[in-house]
Amino acid sequence: MKSTLKNMVLVLFSITAVAALLVGLVNNLTKGTIAETEQRNKDLAKLEVLPKFEGEAELQDTTRMIGDFNINVTTVKAGGNLVGYAVEAPSITKNGYGDRIYLMVGFVEQEGKTTISGVKVISQKETPGLGANMLNPGNSLEKSVLGMSPAELKFAVKKDNGSFDALTGSTISSRAYANAVETAYAGYLWAKGELPSENDAVSGATTTTEAAENNNQMEPEAQKGEVSNE
Amino acid sequence: MSKLQLITKGIIKDNPTFVLILGMCPTLGVTSSAINGMGMGVATMAVLIMSNMVISMIKGIVPDKVRIPVFIVVIASFVTIIEMLMKAYVPALYASLGVFIPLIVVNCVILGRAEAFASKNGIVDSALDGIGIGLGFTLSLTVIGAVREILGAGSIFGYTFAADVMPLLFILAPGGFLVLGYLMVLFNKIAKR
Repeated sequence: MKSTLKNMVLVLFSITAVAALLVGLVNNLTKGTIAETEQRNKDLAKLEVLPKFEGEAELQDTTRMIGDFNINVTTVKAGGNLVGYAVEAPSITKNGYGDRIYLMVGFVEQEGKTTISGVKVISQKETPGLGANMLNPGNSLEKSVLGMSPAELKFAVKKDNGSFDALTGSTISSRAYANAVETAYAGYLWAKGELPSENDAVSGATTTTEAAENNNQMEPEAQKGEVSNE
Repeated sequence: MSKLQLITKGIIKDNPTFVLILGMCPTLGVTSSAINGMGMGVATMAVLIMSNMVISMIKGIVPDKVRIPVFIVVIASFVTIIEMLMKAYVPALYASLGVFIPLIVVNCVILGRAEAFASKNGIVDSALDGIGIGLGFTLSLTVIGAVREILGAGSIFGYTFAADVMPLLFILAPGGFLVLGYLMVLFNKIAKR
């Protein structure tokens, strides 16, 4: 079709108008369902990271802000007995290769000792086949923390003298994962009301500063966030 | 050209990856495993079929000079709509394919077919062309992904047979170029006979 100013403006305008209308309609139609699905997945994840238990679960959420980030601690009880804590936390001082990594980490207490009962990745934008392997069950990062006592863990990859076995070829993603577990542990300690200063997320960050220099992933606002936490 | 030929030409004669050399960014980016390649291929095929049909429908009213922006608006809207629908109604599928969906907007296979085929042919033919090219793209990506996964991770479709002994290079970007190059040579050598 021959182009004239009139028909170009007209066609381009009507096509974009129709497209915008359709996208808007579908967005309106789906956003409720999408939010519901996300919430349901989160609720499922809370139970998945904890050991199996009998009876109805009672969930109680508390949220703490560290800088601009929400750390959500869910206390899970069944029949009046404490099952454990499910903590949803982002990687604060480190981005993954794509974005911040959000983890759900389960903490259980047995005979006065805290162990990590499960980890589930809530959101990540890592490279498929490399960093995204953190989604696979039984990956090396998950194995590094499952059943471990967080008080004895060093929240860094082995390359940085930590206790996390990095995913092959994905050091940056693995560092972010370790950092998210660390944040979750800080959230757990905070919820228990026992956040001794040496285990605070603030001082925790000092052990990982070297690593942050290596990969240049430290962001100014993330640093600010930690300081304001003090 | 018969209807069947429209489909088969996309697989061999006009194979988007090995012959037309279109859509190289998603090809190199996602083929780190066979299943990822397949997922990207299928998602692209779905968008390609629909965008080909719509573009063939509106080809009569689009002035030549603004056709590219119009095509891009159509493709991007489709991708966004599909992403939202998938996220809402088939979350399981979205969880495995979700990362590829936004990449489809920048996939020049789709714009290429809109420009070279759908803007000159009827709706049915354009849909068939979408199926053919989509199949060709899916097969090529699955093969590249399989080769990279076998050589780089010692596994196939997630089933591991030789963990930690294979050169990781094949999963990384340089390995993608190597595998793509050699497969392209092989494909064209066989296809020319």
